[in-house]
Amino acid sequence: MHILEFQNVSKSFSEKNILENISFSVGQGEIFGLLGPNGAGKTTLIRLLLDILRPDSGEIRVFGDLLSPAAKDRIGYLPEERGLYRKTKLLDMLVYLAQLKGMPKKQAYLNAEILLNSLELHQYKNKKVEELSKGMQQQIQFLSAIIHEPELVILDEPFYGLDPVSTKNIKARIQELRATGKTIILSTHIMEQAQTLCDRILMLNKGKRVLYGPVDDIRKEHGKNSLIVEFAEKGDLYRIQEISGIKKVVETGKLVEIFPEEGMNIQTLIEELVQRVNLLRFEQALPSLNEIFIETLESATNE
Amino acid sequence: MNKFPGNKYPRKTFIVARHEFLKTIKRKEFLFMTFLFPFLFVGITLLPVIVSGVSAGEDQIVGYIDMTGSFEFPEPIRSDGLFPGSSEAKNSAIEFVVYSNISDARQALQAGQISSYLVIPEDFLETGTIELYSLEKEALMSNFELSAKLSGIVITSLLKDKVDEMTLNRVLDPVNIKSFNLEKSSDSSGRGIDDIFASFGLPILTAFLLLFSIFSSSGFLLQGVAEEKENRIMEILLSSVTPSEILTGKILGLGAVGLLQIGFWLAAVVLGSSYALPIKIEPNTLFFALVYFVLGFLFFASIMAGIGAVTSSLQESQQIGGILSFAAALPLIFLQPIITNPDSSFSVFLSLFPLTSSVAMLARMAASSVPVYQIFVSIFILLVSVYGVILISSRLFRIYLLMYGKKPKVKEILKNIWAESD
Repeated sequence: MHILEFQNVSKSFSEKNILENISFSVGQGEIFGLLGPNGAGKTTLIRLLLDILRPDSGEIRVFGDLLSPAAKDRIGYLPEERGLYRKTKLLDMLVYLAQLKGMPKKQAYLNAEILLNSLELHQYKNKKVEELSKGMQQQIQFLSAIIHEPELVILDEPFYGLDPVSTKNIKARIQELRATGKTIILSTHIMEQAQTLCDRILMLNKGKRVLYGPVDDIRKEHGKNSLIVEFAEKGDLYRIQEISGIKKVVETGKLVEIFPEEGMNIQTLIEELVQRVNLLRFEQALPSLNEIFIETLESATNE
Repeated sequence: MNKFPGNKYPRKTFIVARHEFLKTIKRKEFLFMTFLFPFLFVGITLLPVIVSGVSAGEDQIVGYIDMTGSFEFPEPIRSDGLFPGSSEAKNSAIEFVVYSNISDARQALQAGQISSYLVIPEDFLETGTIELYSLEKEALMSNFELSAKLSGIVITSLLKDKVDEMTLNRVLDPVNIKSFNLEKSSDSSGRGIDDIFASFGLPILTAFLLLFSIFSSSGFLLQGVAEEKENRIMEILLSSVTPSEILTGKILGLGAVGLLQIGFWLAAVVLGSSYALPIKIEPNTLFFALVYFVLGFLFFASIMAGIGAVTSSLQESQQIGGILSFAAALPLIFLQPIITNPDSSFSVFLSLFPLTSSVAMLARMAASSVPVYQIFVSIFILLVSVYGVILISSRLFRIYLLMYGKKPKVKEILKNIWAESD
């Protein structure tokens, strides 16, 4: 079952298209990356799936059903624009937000205590939000998104403005959530984070879908299909050139990048190499998501 | 499918309402306004009493020497110069102490035992002159009360055994005008001037309280919405509850705050006015006052919430809110024509028009007996209007709550209000 499904969804504001004919789906237990530059339509997409906005056309299904108020209770949301009640006590605020998600008060108190404990923020439970440091506020914001035990968690730029320690904490939390079978939608423009955390991604640009699929597949598709090797003796370079089916060899310092001809298997190439030279290391050259991101945006601008 | 069975969806409205209620009653501004207002009110109504009490001087004790020997001064009269100190005696501002000769009285005056003394000469019946002696200029000038009191004593003393008590009372208090209105047959009960004041008192008071409550509660509502917009928590709220749930919850919560405030104020006003104002509260009037208060509050609060959603800053929303509060105050300006002519078409119009009906209808009901159907038509119109503004406001909530910074144009807002609901 798909946890989330968009079918040909479009949304415009005063005749300006924000999202155009977007289709994608998210499976259970996935960490799904929602990528794209600022203004690509990520936040609008999130607001659509939270029923804060309604699409002009197309269909959105959450947990297999069309959007309903009950479905909203099963979603947790960390908005990009962070906001908390500044003058409310930490515990009271977390409980209020959990209650708004339909959680009974008693259970909400219990969950709040447990979560505050786990982040070692327990001693601040009766403090007002404005009395906390910024890092703590960010973590509290994260807690408010998961206190009601949602099955789908939407995190809009969760690492924005976090110090390294908080980043580590939140990252661990995300992986913990996934380990318990929760589905996570991670909206970010930091590609390194997406690359290490996400299983699949959807990349938007100017309201259009430009990339969609598993991260590994996308990297392979955009791969230059080359092999980067390092070997012990420099003189061995000519031996590499003897291998048939090699199109080009580029030497960059210690490393050598080998481009095989079309039809040549990378696996075969490695076997040939092992027979000829003393390999220190080899690595299939895959572009980072960041490179793909920039390349995709540039080609889109040139169109 | 509900994740937490037993938690029905409308419950969220009450969670929002309870949160808003608790948050607001803990606010310093609320506590300040709620507790300060009664003190102000009591202060203002009691001030004249206090001031007049002070200027009348503390327990004036006036000595007198009656040379005619025919006057009966009211008890208690102490001939020994000892001062009456009982609490009953303190209610009367002037007390009389008899002296047998002028030198005793003068001595008492100089010793400060009395504030002044009177000499009633033997030829008083011919001249009508009583002499007043005092050490202070003020006592000689502020003798209006004294002369009124003396007149009563003189009339009683002169006529005591010559006429019957009824005649004596008519001489002392000749006329009391009681007015009747023959225009409406049902209004057969006579109204004394005090009755009229008492029955006008409540509607006018309710009107003022309604306004104060609109100023404070809807002010809090505006502030709350603007704050939640400003610190961006609105987005989290909207991911959990619908705009109309937030709107309804807020209005209910702050309405409860308003009722609490009004209740507190009314209690304070009744307490304060039992000293200064003759206010008689009839259950009928109280019931309709309550109905119109609740509906009027709902009407204005919904409009305020809509304004809060559309405007982009707290300051801006308060400016527009202020203009609206002024519109709510309009019937107070028309109170005079409504009361003097409660059945004119102008008065009827004001009592049916939702912006003014709460205050105007209460005023009409105080001044004459309004046909029952008009009351129900007025309540019905107000109910429909409340429903309408809640509908419009929740639509504005949905569209504008998450728009920051950009100030929408009036035309665009109107277009969105009339746009097909999705």
